[in-house]
Amino acid sequence: MKKRFNPIKDKSSEIIEYLMSSPDIPDDDVLQFKLRLSIEEAVENVVRYAYDGGIGWLEVDIHFDQDALLLTIELRDAGTPFNPLEKEDPDVTKGAEDREVGGLGIFLCKKMMDSIEYRYEDGNNVLTMTKKV
Amino acid sequence: MEVTINKQDNKTFVVINGRIDTTTVDQFQQAANTLMEEEHPDIDIDCTALSYTSSQGLRTILMLQKCVMKKGGKLVLRNMNPQVKEVFDITGFSNIITII
Repeated sequence: MKKRFNPIKDKSSEIIEYLMSSPDIPDDDVLQFKLRLSIEEAVENVVRYAYDGGIGWLEVDIHFDQDALLLTIELRDAGTPFNPLEKEDPDVTKGAEDREVGGLGIFLCKKMMDSIEYRYEDGNNVLTMTKKV
Repeated sequence: MEVTINKQDNKTFVVINGRIDTTTVDQFQQAANTLMEEEHPDIDIDCTALSYTSSQGLRTILMLQKCVMKKGGKLVLRNMNPQVKEVFDITGFSNIITII
């Protein structure tokens, strides 16, 4: 199930709901919570940062492999080349005074999904997340 | 999402109902701004009906915690559902905010 959203400025919610309404999303509250969180963080990352103001497109794809029981979600954009996985994980052991406000989004994706990969392909940022369901 | 704020004695009681996500985070931030202006810094937040939070909600809660600490008060979050609690655990927020 693939769809390209253009433009994406202020469209985060529409894009998230498109993916979450897919028949590939399992009927399980706990899994849905983890998937929604990962999808929201990944989509927000593109909507907020990929195009310096949101004028651009985001193509999303969701696919369920029946044999492997593997759900794959892919996000593709033509914004500034950026690998979100290169960003250092936040230090979750710091006290409140020393914790920076923000920087948790992609870290949560990494923790909630089984795998997350980034590649730059044909001028596009491609982020692929998988979860066994 | 709905945020209800009640003042009782020297404490502020808050109830969050619904999801803190990309569509509601501005509303939650506004409620947090109101809380940060409170004269009495002790805040008790009932999370029984908080069904979801993204990192944007965590960001606002951390700002609130920093503000409350600066004023010498205490922020307490209570009755989180297990999924929301997991988000706080993974991010280390469970260690820096009182969750009961």
